[in-house]
Amino acid sequence: MDSGKTLCSLLKAIQFQESAVFCALPEGLKLTVEEGKCVQASAYVPSDNFAEYHVRDDVDVMFKISIAVLAECLNIFGSLEESSLKMYYRGEGSPLLLVLQPTSVNNVMTDCEISTQTADSVLELRDEDAEEVAKLVLKAPAFLGLLADLERSCDIIELNLSPEHPNVSIVTYGMQDRSCIDMPKSSDMVQSFSCEQPITLKYQLHHIRLIMKALAISTKVVLRCSSNGLLLLQLKLEKEDQRQMFSEFYIIPLLDD
Amino acid sequence: MKCHIPGSNVKVLGRTVHALARFGDELYLESLPDCILLRTLNAAESAYAMVKFNKSFFSYFNYNYFSTEDNEGLKCKISMKSALNTFKSPMHMDKQVENLEIKLDPEACKLIFQLKCRHGIVKTHFISILDCKAMQAVYTKDTVPNRITSPQRILAEALNNFQSSDDQVTLEASPNSLILRNYIDCSMDLTKIIRTQITLKPAEFDSYTIGTETIITFSLKEFRALLAFAEALNLPLQVHFETTGRPAVFIVHNGTTFEAHFVLATTKPDSATQATSTQNTTMERNKRKDASSTGGSAKKKPHLDVDISKCLDEDSHLFNFIDMPEDIVMNDELISSVNKSIVNGKDRGKVDLMDCDNIPGSPTSKTTIKSVFKRCFESTFDPRSLVGSVLAENSDSD
Repeated sequence: MDSGKTLCSLLKAIQFQESAVFCALPEGLKLTVEEGKCVQASAYVPSDNFAEYHVRDDVDVMFKISIAVLAECLNIFGSLEESSLKMYYRGEGSPLLLVLQPTSVNNVMTDCEISTQTADSVLELRDEDAEEVAKLVLKAPAFLGLLADLERSCDIIELNLSPEHPNVSIVTYGMQDRSCIDMPKSSDMVQSFSCEQPITLKYQLHHIRLIMKALAISTKVVLRCSSNGLLLLQLKLEKEDQRQMFSEFYIIPLLDD
Repeated sequence: MKCHIPGSNVKVLGRTVHALARFGDELYLESLPDCILLRTLNAAESAYAMVKFNKSFFSYFNYNYFSTEDNEGLKCKISMKSALNTFKSPMHMDKQVENLEIKLDPEACKLIFQLKCRHGIVKTHFISILDCKAMQAVYTKDTVPNRITSPQRILAEALNNFQSSDDQVTLEASPNSLILRNYIDCSMDLTKIIRTQITLKPAEFDSYTIGTETIITFSLKEFRALLAFAEALNLPLQVHFETTGRPAVFIVHNGTTFEAHFVLATTKPDSATQATSTQNTTMERNKRKDASSTGGSAKKKPHLDVDISKCLDEDSHLFNFIDMPEDIVMNDELISSVNKSIVNGKDRGKVDLMDCDNIPGSPTSKTTIKSVFKRCFESTFDPRSLVGSVLAENSDSD
């Protein structure tokens, strides 16, 4: 891989837990973190981001690794320096090897060895039976601006989607006050909107705020609500070379009392 | 009441709310037939601010939107936090917000702010009304002898020289110069503080009229807030003041659309420690940092002796000094606080609160304890030293 920088910023965006499950699939790399069985965040790097990519397909390549250490190693030459990256992993129990070479200086090389742990099981939040009831494509920077404006003191965010105007409304309940953000589908930050019938979902605002770091580096966000209330946010990060990396967040809804 | 504010003016309103938030925790809104008034008062009731937005500030203004018979202005009190939440980032507001609509229905219990933003997004804030009363401070600004109009930068630049820990500033006004000085409580250790003094020439101001020379002291926190407000809006600041104990009024206005009054209570500077015998007026700006306590204590003593009886009359129910004449240092601290309370009853609550750290420990009770349990403090307890008759005889050995 030519540069570890984007990968590093993607890792930092999901760094709300100490360690992540590192999973190398034939399609690409996937790192997953979970927060209290309520939020599952993944960073997904498709294999076309790598110049060379080999994964054994007869065994599951899966292990647990500290995100902080991995991000620090990727950033070992400082955030200004671009460096090429090679990653090796032999098999269960062996460490992850990183070889980093800065592009501006010749004959300098860093060899990092990060010890790994056996992976815990990852939650399977996707339910094949639950159909998708609404899908929304938004511009990430504008959505980030909206989330940043929400009051910090409140706990619950209510998301109302409906085929009628206003199509999207986000309601937060503060100490005494109620704030409401309406966004019609004609708004230029909404790139696509599909919703068959009105739906109201409640989430922990704290969980929603976890995506803000990832939003800050992304260009586009896709919100999908399934009929059981599970919210899936897919964020697309576009690099200069037209390749894409993704982050994914599954957020469990709050149930009505 | 219903009104619309165009995007460019929303920023002004946002700035206003942020400035008022530095004053008080509650915001009073009053709508009159031709204007809207925002007011606030700080908890110690020593600072008050009122901002008036005239009809021309709004793109649409209907005072009687919901009812026609009510001729008295609509009033409401909301929490400052809620208001701040509506105007989170006033710097960027003019770029994002196209229009702001404020609705106040006398029947409803919510004040509604509706922001129409870019991308067709509508943000609506329903803010709970805490009360329906209005509040009004009484002060004079037109008949006072001393008036200064200052460009917004001058005073803010002068204040930059002060320490962030300074909480009050003394303004000494004479026809030839204006001296700003940080106020030093005489209870503070003079060897550990930095004294800052800045002299400004009348020529630096747009207009400068001092009818009677005076020295006033007021809170720096609110002064900084109102200067930041004037600077953000790029408008000059008018200062109207009379003398010590009378409020100083700071006015920021922009011709016809809005007018802001900030009223700060003033206290008398403590002449004992604040005496400046040498005033260097030849230099345009003279910043003097003086960490030594020259002459302070020498002058303090006679000044205090005069007031000591007054002080005892005033606070004898709180502190009993009669038995502890040796504690002069403690007395000094206390007297200084009492002096201030006498000088300005208005600020009293604040001053007492500030000085509560200096309340001396109770030495009188300590002496009582010593005499009652005296033996416990002796190095060796010797039962033979007990004098007096035996109250209960030793019981029999079996």
